[in-house]
Amino acid sequence: MVSFAAEPIFRLGFFSVTNTLLDTLIVDGVLVGIAIYIKKHLKLIPGFVQNISEYAVETMYNLTESVAPERAARIFPFFATFFIFILLANWSGLIPGFGTIGFYEGVGKSKTLVPLLRSATTDLNTTLGLALVSAVATHVISIKIIGIKEYLGRYFSINPMNQFIGFLEMISEITKIISLSFRLFGNIYAGEIVLGTIASIFAFIAPLPFLLLEFIVGFVQALVFAMLTMAFMAILSTPHHTEAKEVSHK
Amino acid sequence: MEILKNFGFDPILLVAQIVNFLIILFILKKLLYKPVMDMLKKRETSIKEGIKQAEEGRLALEKALEEEKKILKKAQDQSKKIVEDANTEAINISKEIEDNSRKQAEKILEEARRQIEQEAKETERRLSQNITNLSIELLTKSLGQMFGEKEQKQLIEKAVKELKGKKS
Repeated sequence: MVSFAAEPIFRLGFFSVTNTLLDTLIVDGVLVGIAIYIKKHLKLIPGFVQNISEYAVETMYNLTESVAPERAARIFPFFATFFIFILLANWSGLIPGFGTIGFYEGVGKSKTLVPLLRSATTDLNTTLGLALVSAVATHVISIKIIGIKEYLGRYFSINPMNQFIGFLEMISEITKIISLSFRLFGNIYAGEIVLGTIASIFAFIAPLPFLLLEFIVGFVQALVFAMLTMAFMAILSTPHHTEAKEVSHK
Repeated sequence: MEILKNFGFDPILLVAQIVNFLIILFILKKLLYKPVMDMLKKRETSIKEGIKQAEEGRLALEKALEEEKKILKKAQDQSKKIVEDANTEAINISKEIEDNSRKQAEKILEEARRQIEQEAKETERRLSQNITNLSIELLTKSLGQMFGEKEQKQLIEKAVKELKGKKS
């Protein structure tokens, strides 16, 4: 059974490089490679690859614009990067060899397989890191757009009733981080466990439906994380006095 | 915190992942989103420009065609007018020529008539002169033996007077 914690593969001084970190680096490498390729081959008359990337970028941008029309330019990079990164990280775990190629550690009964590579999102450190980035970015954008005064006004007030609501808001900010990180981690980690279990029962054909399911789950979880981040950013960067007006517009 | 440890929480890895993500965010922003969005905008403007230019071209063509039609019509009208003018002018000229020629002919005819008349008069005059002379000669010849010189002269003068009177 795979452990919760990512297994260290080797050490660089005090820094232990885990299999999930290796996967993160691979995903990063792929993303940077794609980005450089697209940037180099960008033309006014698009080719096949450019068409796909343009379609993807434009679709994500339009989605952001439909939620937060005036703040789309600021929110869009976070939304898109969360989505693409998490999607690739989730799907990377489904590649044959991930979680199965490794080396044995320990002796006798405690001998376990340590996979060389493991999906980055099956590590709580990754998902918590993403959730923290999402939360900090949300608050920074909020302060930049609605101003420090109104931002603080959301959490602190002289009015005891409003102060109570502010207190609840503070708790909700913390729970946002926890829910974002654990949702992603739990879903993908559970998926890996299911796949491993099914494969240990019967390794041929039987895991196929689960692979397909995990494929969808990976996509949905990436979308959920990105969409929630976008929604939080949109909500927190909406000034109080225009909120009602914006709603009535739609 | 113990729970977090159980889940494999590691501050160094957490920071590593955060830094990782921020780097990838920055790189994607610089290399992917911005260029692609710029390209999309650029293409949009160029397409808009193209459509606008095509529309302008179409309008210009239409205008040119209309202009052409107008010019053609004008030219046609002008040519028609020129032909008409030429026709009337030709008719005028021919009429004039006819008139002139008729006048000339009349003039020539008149001249001829007058000349003939004059000649006829001259002939008449010469004839009468001749007749007078002849008759004088005849009288002198025939009367010369009958009358004296004085009567002769009187008679001849009388005859000449009579002849002349008759003539005049």
